[in-house]
Amino acid sequence: MSDFEPQIIAFLCNWCTYVAADAAGVSRFIQKPNVRVIRMNCSGMVDPSYIIKAFASGADGVLVGGCWPGDCHYISGNIKAMRRAPLLQKLLGELGMEELRFRLKWIAASEPGPYQKTINEMTEEIRKLGPYKRSAA
Amino acid sequence: MSRPGQKVKLAVHTATGCRACEQGMLDVNNEVSELGRFAEVVFWPYVLGTPWEAVEGGVDVALFAGAIHTEADRQAAMKLRERSKILVSVGACAAFGGLPGLVNLAPPAEPAVAATESEDKPTLPRTEPRALALSQVVEVDYVVPGCPPTQNLLWAATLALVCRGESPARLSYSVARLPEAVAEAITSGVLPPRGTVFAGEKAVCGSCSRVKEEKKSGTCKRPYQAYDLTGRCLLEQGLVCQGVATQEGCGGLCTGVGVPCRGCFGKAPAIMDPGAKMVSAIASTFDSKNAQEIAGLVGSFVDLAGTFYRYSLPSQCALLAPRRG
Repeated sequence: MSDFEPQIIAFLCNWCTYVAADAAGVSRFIQKPNVRVIRMNCSGMVDPSYIIKAFASGADGVLVGGCWPGDCHYISGNIKAMRRAPLLQKLLGELGMEELRFRLKWIAASEPGPYQKTINEMTEEIRKLGPYKRSAA
Repeated sequence: MSRPGQKVKLAVHTATGCRACEQGMLDVNNEVSELGRFAEVVFWPYVLGTPWEAVEGGVDVALFAGAIHTEADRQAAMKLRERSKILVSVGACAAFGGLPGLVNLAPPAEPAVAATESEDKPTLPRTEPRALALSQVVEVDYVVPGCPPTQNLLWAATLALVCRGESPARLSYSVARLPEAVAEAITSGVLPPRGTVFAGEKAVCGSCSRVKEEKKSGTCKRPYQAYDLTGRCLLEQGLVCQGVATQEGCGGLCTGVGVPCRGCFGKAPAIMDPGAKMVSAIASTFDSKNAQEIAGLVGSFVDLAGTFYRYSLPSQCALLAPRRG
């Protein structure tokens, strides 16, 4: 398992977490290169099917990053993400997926440090879990 | 194919299933006698007790119901594919894997046959580790979904594939409500394009008569609890109604009488994964901004995988269906 490099898809909100990711890069924070960022207008527009499609297409982990509740550029988009995530988490669990593979994180534009920490932690935790195997594949 | 004096040879078979689809075929009322003028049933073990040798002479249209979960099912599928010009998946089991497909949620087990073999009991066919839809085993020409398929769509398929426009039988529903390809096939007698699904094109909500108000409920109700049987949208009342993720064609039969849709027509064509769609739909009825409250609410929903993929787990669940290509 030592040479396994997890592939993580990160759906990041344009107004907060994407800016944090950008700032983390500009600040030369050392980050694991396992994350593929997809820039979304809002965490509220990350449909559960995007996340399931990411896993079905071979992702080992999915991160959804949004603004802290109350800070949403569209007032309540992140609340929508917050309502979906636990239900999706439960469905994924019933389909045999470990809980650590899908996460919803609130990371503000001014938090490149926490962004770096999230990315590095998630990569290492998923590396320990190993590749996501679809049970019937 | 229905040339004068030569009847269409029809075969009907159920693999792993409950045979309600075959009951449904018998349930087309007076149309059965109409069918007799166009078709000769050469193979129908359930009704006629026909042996497998009967299909050796070739079959024009084979109606195949039931999922593929035993070696015998697989052999039946291969045999009927080989001998038939047209193979039709009838019912949710053959079309998507159906209820027997829920076995795929459990880890693959050894076939539970050894115990019976040793005790001088009849030999059961060995089960395969995974249940599959017919189309995952052989090429399928047409699909008639439903659990069981509704009378009108089953009859529409029969008219289109067996009678080919030559039947004077009246349709008990408006042709205009069917997808264009199906309606054209019935009226013109030309076979619909291969792969046609005898169902609608949108989601069940499109033909559901209930009132949608975009109100939030913030509860999870089960069908035994009190709710409005008429009027308001069931999903908005907190019931798990899968109409929003399910292919239309039934005309909203269940929701019309206050029973939440269970998704027996499979996912609507525009939907990638029915479970993801349902997560989105149900979460949109939540009314809380508090993570703990939401977690509590989510806890009251039980068996999400078995509910959202009740009829479609082997073929339409993006995470469990075998990868194509």
